[in-house]
Amino acid sequence: MTSMLKTDLVDELTEVAEKHPGRLAIVHNGQTLSYSQLSSLAQAVAQRLGPLPGMVGTYATHSPGTVVALFGIWAAGGAYCPIDPAFPEERQRAMLAAAGCNKVLASQEGLALPPGIEAIQLAEIQADPEAGRVMWAAPNSPAYCLFTSGSTGEPKPVITSRRAIGTTVPSLRELFDIVPGDRVLQFASLNWDTCFEEILPTLTAGATLVFHSEAHTGSFPRFLRMLAIEQITVVNLPTAFWHELVHFLTDEQAELPPMVRLVIIGGEAVNPTRLADWAKLPTASIRLLNTYGCTETTLITHAIDLPGPIFPVPIGSPLPHVMQLISEESELLIGGPSLADGYLGRPDATAARFVTVHSGRFFRTGDRVSVGPGGVLLHDGRIDHQVKIRGIRVDPAEVEAQIAAHPGVSEVAVTGYTVADHTALVAYVVPRPHAPAKLDIDIIDFLRIRVPAHLIPSRIRIVTELVYTTSGKVDRRGLKEAHP
Amino acid sequence: MMVDGVTDIFRRVLETGEVGTESDFFALGGDSLLATRVLSAIARKYGVELSFDDFVLASTPGTLARRIASATP
Repeated sequence: MTSMLKTDLVDELTEVAEKHPGRLAIVHNGQTLSYSQLSSLAQAVAQRLGPLPGMVGTYATHSPGTVVALFGIWAAGGAYCPIDPAFPEERQRAMLAAAGCNKVLASQEGLALPPGIEAIQLAEIQADPEAGRVMWAAPNSPAYCLFTSGSTGEPKPVITSRRAIGTTVPSLRELFDIVPGDRVLQFASLNWDTCFEEILPTLTAGATLVFHSEAHTGSFPRFLRMLAIEQITVVNLPTAFWHELVHFLTDEQAELPPMVRLVIIGGEAVNPTRLADWAKLPTASIRLLNTYGCTETTLITHAIDLPGPIFPVPIGSPLPHVMQLISEESELLIGGPSLADGYLGRPDATAARFVTVHSGRFFRTGDRVSVGPGGVLLHDGRIDHQVKIRGIRVDPAEVEAQIAAHPGVSEVAVTGYTVADHTALVAYVVPRPHAPAKLDIDIIDFLRIRVPAHLIPSRIRIVTELVYTTSGKVDRRGLKEAHP
Repeated sequence: MMVDGVTDIFRRVLETGEVGTESDFFALGGDSLLATRVLSAIARKYGVELSFDDFVLASTPGTLARRIASATP
């Protein structure tokens, strides 16, 4: 285990740019950005921001400009705080306020920003190859701020240091075996941490990151054609998307293009049936890597190659930079240099999840695990009520807090349910007297202007009362059974 | 009738019989990933490669059937 940060990720990018200035760093729908262009654009962003800009809000559109912004912020010594332009304005403002952003980088005009926040248009920043190189960061300063689901209904900012991300990336580069000839698809949204698994091992190895609008159309024929045309070698997909891909490949007897050498999956449990289907495909020899990690422990902490069908499907073994403990209650605790600093402005929440064991700092994942054959970990569910919605961790209490704020709601309980092996949210709502007639539709409209789409239940069930356990807690299972 | 074919696809993907011409896919608990199964089935059955954006704008069997008809050469 190494806790020393030998170099910074910005230094690693600069090194590639100096050795191989003309090599392709990013391809976007056929347009290219070389390593020297990327590096000098990032330097120009850093110069424009000035030294130590703190948290920099970034309107993270799915484009190379956001990657330029990321490296520019890091060169200036600031922290990347992505703001999803698709989120409701109220949520965006809450995120900017919770993170304490004074500046935002944007690629669009007309943002409704709260007073006191300076907007910097990325398009107006010009690269100057003659300008000197800046690097203002300290190793322990924050690298990024991302939000996880919190029980109060407010977004909960996780702060990750440059040291944490800097020790994780070399581990991932080795795990993925990224080489300069690789062309890695940029699939994940630049608003979630999975995108760093794609961007950082790729651009510090001198490989090429590929953006393409055909990646997200929902049409698998178009997705496969795009992979072939762009000669993609590595894809990192949410497990739920991979399940659908396997469905398609099996039903249509279609194949992944021959250039694809590595498929990385993560975000939720692998369905053993889909894995068995995958193993029967003609392209089963493609390396399939299952991964596990939490935002608070920085990207991937556990991984395992899946060369064939296996039941149950393990989440793997810890990577070299990761320490693990399993509590008496079977909860997985993770330690080592990749731990986040904690939740910004929430000392209580931080103390509850980041604990000291044998004088080491560990994060309580909330995931229940057991040790399978060969020492690999098996995931046995949650110790709390959290669910994964499209690969994003959701605390039902956050959705409950949002719905409870509706004036027509007396009581509410939220839980996950399954439609055709996909998890969705259902809310059980007890209305107040004189609540609107169409309370369910009213609640959805109420949520749409306040929270992101993954926090909006697919179903609202209006009920006369909730179901309680003998100890007086809401019985979510009982509710599901009472209202199938 | 194309609309019956699309209704059938909805029923199969959502594993429920409660689908009519005007039933909205997302209101029935469908999500963007399940939508990819609908799009794959439509590509196979009608030879039209619609996108998720097309689907969001036409997420009932009735509207989707019209969308397919207008895209069929």
